[in-house]
Order: sequence, then C-alpha cells, then structure tokens
Amino acid sequence: MATLELIKLSKRYGKNIWGAKNVNLKVNEGEFIVFLGPSGCGKTTTLRMIAGLEEVTEGQVIIDGNDVTYLEPRKREVSMVFQSYAVWPHMTVYENIAFPLRLKKEPKENIDTVVREVAAMVKIEEYLERYPRQLSGGQRQRVALARALAVKPKIFLMDEPLSNLDAKLRVKMRTELKAIHSKTGATTIFVTHDQSEALSMADRIVVMRNGHIEQVGTPDEVYFDSENVFVAGFIGTPPTNFFKMNIKHENNQLKVFNENLEFALPNKIKNLLNNYNKNQVILGIRPESFEIVENRENSYFTEKILVVEPQGSHQIVALEIGDQIVKIVAPSFPKYKANDVINISFDEDRIMLFDIETEKRIRG
Amino acid sequence: MKNTLEKKWVPYLLITPTILFYIIFWFRPVLTAIIYSFFDESNIFTLNNYIYIFKDPFFKQAVFNTTIFVVISVTLEFLIALSLALIINKKFKGSQILLSISLIPMALPAVAVGAMWSSGFASYGWINSILYHFGIIDANHKILFLAGNDFQSLMLIILIDAWQVIPFMMVILLAGLQSIPKDSIEAGYIFGGTKFTVLKKITMPMLKSSIQTALILRIISAIQVWLIIVMIYGYRRIPVLLEEVVFYKKQVLGFYRVALAYSVIVSIIVSIVSIIYLKVSGPSKGRKYKCTKVNHIKKYYIQHYFI
Repeated sequence: MATLELIKLSKRYGKNIWGAKNVNLKVNEGEFIVFLGPSGCGKTTTLRMIAGLEEVTEGQVIIDGNDVTYLEPRKREVSMVFQSYAVWPHMTVYENIAFPLRLKKEPKENIDTVVREVAAMVKIEEYLERYPRQLSGGQRQRVALARALAVKPKIFLMDEPLSNLDAKLRVKMRTELKAIHSKTGATTIFVTHDQSEALSMADRIVVMRNGHIEQVGTPDEVYFDSENVFVAGFIGTPPTNFFKMNIKHENNQLKVFNENLEFALPNKIKNLLNNYNKNQVILGIRPESFEIVENRENSYFTEKILVVEPQGSHQIVALEIGDQIVKIVAPSFPKYKANDVINISFDEDRIMLFDIETEKRIRG
Repeated sequence: MKNTLEKKWVPYLLITPTILFYIIFWFRPVLTAIIYSFFDESNIFTLNNYIYIFKDPFFKQAVFNTTIFVVISVTLEFLIALSLALIINKKFKGSQILLSISLIPMALPAVAVGAMWSSGFASYGWINSILYHFGIIDANHKILFLAGNDFQSLMLIILIDAWQVIPFMMVILLAGLQSIPKDSIEAGYIFGGTKFTVLKKITMPMLKSSIQTALILRIISAIQVWLIIVMIYGYRRIPVLLEEVVFYKKQVLGFYRVALAYSVIVSIIVSIVSIIYLKVSGPSKGRKYKCTKVNHIKKYYIQHYFI
C-alpha cells in the first residue's frame, strides 16, 4: 500500500509525437484508479512509465514520497497484470507465482505459504502443478493475478487485464477483482477502454485523450458532472446527446434555438450563462435525463420516433432531429414503437452546458 | 457405398506420386548403397570394406578431427550467433542494416568461401596485403597462415567455417527471439529480474526449441564438413569423415565400395549423435516440433550422403 504521484509526466516518441503530455495525478493510499480513454490516448504509456518499462521524457513518478522516475522496474516494488497475461509458458503455475518471490530471496517455507495463499484467493489451487498451456484464458489470467498479488507490491498495475476474456467472464472477474482489492487494500492503477468496467470498479476515473488528462473524478462525477464535451460523449451508453444552440433574449426569457428546436431555458440553467458572452452554446443531455410526457404543455419539444431498441430493463428510443440522432432511455413501460409522436421533457438539474469554442463545461 | 469406398482410396491415390518418387529416387539408392557396401567387386558378401576403413590410420584421425571440429565450432558459433541475435533483437538504429550485412556470408556457396579464404591466407594473399598496406607487417615478415601444425590448421578452418555459418544460426535464434512475446520479458523485469536473470530464466528457456533446432542442424552439418577443408588444404592434410568419403569416391580408383561403407558409417554416427542430443536436451516446450525436427534431420543427412 502506498501513495503515487505523477508530476508533469510526459513521453515523447520521435521528434514531436507525445504519447503522454503533462500528466499530473495524486493517488491516495489504497485507491482504485482507472485510466480510461480510447485507444492511443496515452493510458497504457502512462502506466508503463509508472512501471518503469517506458523511459520518461519529462516529469516525475513518485511512489511513497520517493522519486522512482529513473529506477529499474524491479526496484519500484510494483507488480503488473498484462493484457496478454504474460505468464511464463515454461514454468508451472506454482513456479510462475513463486518465481518473483525466489528472486526476492524469500525463505522457502514462506514462499510456499504465500503461493498457496494467493492461489486460494484467485481460486487456482488445483492447477498449481499445471503448465499455462493446459489452462484456459480465464485461468491464465488468474495465474497472472496471483503472481502479481504474491509479491505484495506497493502499487498494483493492470493493463487492460480483462479485455482478452469473453464478455461473461469479464463481468465476473470485475466483481472478483474488486473483492480482492477491498481485501488487500492495495493501491491499484487499472487501464481500460471499457467505460462500464471503469464505472463499476473505480474509486476515481482518470479520463484521458491524446496523451493528456481530460478529467479526474469519481464515477458519479465523470458521469453526471462531465468536465467537457469529450468526457460527456465518451462515457455512457448511449452517450450524451449534444445540441448546438443559438442563444437569444426574448420577453425576459433566455431562449435557445436551432433549425429544428426552440425553447426557453429554465431559470436554474439560465443563470449559468450570466457571464457567458458567446451567442452559441452546446447543450449536453444524457439519454436518461429525458422524460417522455403525455402533456404537450409540459414538454420542450415534440418529435416522431425513428426506432425503438428494447433492452429488457429499459428501452432506448431514437429520434431524428434534423440530421442528428437523439437517444432517450425510457422505462420498459409503456411500450413505444416507431412513428409514435412523443412529447419530450428533461430533468433541468441534469443538463450540462458547454462552451461552443473550448467545449469546456460552463459552470456559471 | 461407392462413395465411402472412394473416400477411402482417394487419399492414398493422392499421395501415390510422392511415394513413388521416394521409392525410386530415395529408398532405392539408399538401399543399393547399403547393400553394395557389404559386397566386393565380384558381388561376393564381404566385410572387407568396413575392415579396411577401421584399419585405415586416416579413419581414426578423421574421427578425432571431426569431433574436435564439431565441439569447438558449434560451441563458438552458437555463442557468437546468440550474442548477435540478442543484439540485433534490441532493434536499435541501424539494427536492420547490421542484420543484412551479417547475412552476406550465408548467401555465399561453400566453394566460394573456400576460394576466398584460401586466396586470403596464401603467403601472397589479400590478408597479408592488407596487413602490409597498413604497416602492421613488413614485406619480409609475411604471416604464413597455412603453415601451422594440425591443431592450428583446424582452428583456422573453424574460424572460416564460423564466418560462414554464424548467420544461419543467428537467423534461427533471431526468429525464435522475435516470437517471444514482449510482455513475458517485461514481466520478468517487473517481478524482480535483472537483465541477466531475465535472460537466463525467461528468455533462454522460451528460446529452447529454437536453440535445439539451431544446434541440431548445425551439429549435423558440422559432422559433414569437408569442402572448405579441401578448398584450403587439399585432401588428407586434415582428414575429416566426409572428406574421406569424397576422397575414396573421387580421388582414388577402385575404392567406390569403401566410400559407400564410409557413408553408412557417417550416417550411423550422425543418427546416434542426433538421437543422443535430442534425448539429453529433452522435449522442452517445443514438443510439437520434435517430430518435424527428427524428420528434418533424417532428410538432411540421407539426401546429403546417398544421392
């Protein structure tokens, strides 16, 4: 268990391609941090710099107050679970787990105890004598996990550890990983491009794009209180609906409009724009913040349904407004069907306004 | 009914040409050679061809020289090839160029290599010229490379052979290294390995099947060395097994059947060495390769000796 601090951490490839740029982050003891972002966003590069597998171009990596930026990986007391598992094929499961302990020159009896302990934790006791090629992908992943747990690292690094597993197993392993984390309390950095993985596991999510951090926050914060258009659009399935709107003052009201929509902003939101002097704004509304209402007077706009995607627990209603598809998450009942005309309202508290130029959140 | 019958026979029909080819061009000559080695010119059964060889003082020397050659050259070549493969695998700037350059000797036929080096090591050869040109030696102190004793001569051959063969081994090892997932090596560093421990405990074991392939192929071809020796020293200066086979077949009349007997002996030696090697080195993780390896070996020496 340890703290981790990244200060202006940067990685440059070649002359001016930045794998990661100016990454600043403070991780508390025992925290479960998820790096989330599309592929090529620098999350793995950052993780590898923490591990010591990637040379740092600029900045510092600090573990427990010690600058480890230029230390060899083995001296950093971190352990890692790789996407490809990276278990050693020429060693039995037992040897795979014991090997790092042997390198640390732990006493023999001690090694045996630890190996059996972590094997029990990830439920692979009966496979200790097998070779990795005799195991399934999921079991190999457990071996990799056991190996990482056995060394009792200061920091646990996981590079998309679940993405090679099938969908069902992935969800199951998520729960197990979280249970293991709460048992060991190890500071963990988990890299993924899967937002539902991030939302379900993280204490805090670090959303990254193009090598820099877009937002750091709890799952609720990044979801309900997104910092910018990218975060709001990246997180959530279906993602946030965005509307590019013009602003006009009319009859003491603040109205927003485009070719297809026009409505007055509720007072709460209106105030956010007091100091905003551009004449366009981006409105971000999450699919579940919409509400389908019976009464047209209570609605902001009325539209014909394009398609309905039933999901069991809820249904996704898609509308076509202009050339834009808008998705609404509605309860399973009442059932809607294509071409139904519905009145749409939304939860005023949960609208997000973004600057038309910087795409940053407008917070008044 | 007809359909299943057809199904049964079609596969055999399809491999018939191959089987015929092997019987006519491979099995028949091999068998003939073995049979002929047990008969004299008037077709009477005899062990004389073999007895002659075992009494021949050159045979002992040939076995001795070949053994020394195999042990030293394979060890030397393996170590250098492995180091080169590890260096080139680092993928630094120019590693591709180094790879291309280091492959040149492999592209040259043994005859050309022999000619090149024999003209180099002659007292008026190009090596002395270069040394003279750079003022390392003067005209009266030319180095007489070819005048050494038997052991020195053998060492010279080993160096020349190494020059030509190292790229071949290196390519096999490099291919093996490149097939090791990067993650496995990195995991080694993360979990406490130094460069040396990772090399010893992770890279080398994972490279084992490539090492086996490289070594076995090399050991077999090292047992068969002869052309370079003949190119540089001529026949019977440094007798080795295969050189004796060629000597009896080409250089003296009437010893054709002795040459055949010699071939049989060399084949047996190669088989024994290969089998011992495979047994000792174990099946490794490359169990699936073992079968092909043995086949490879069989094909290799049989084609070289009998056809």
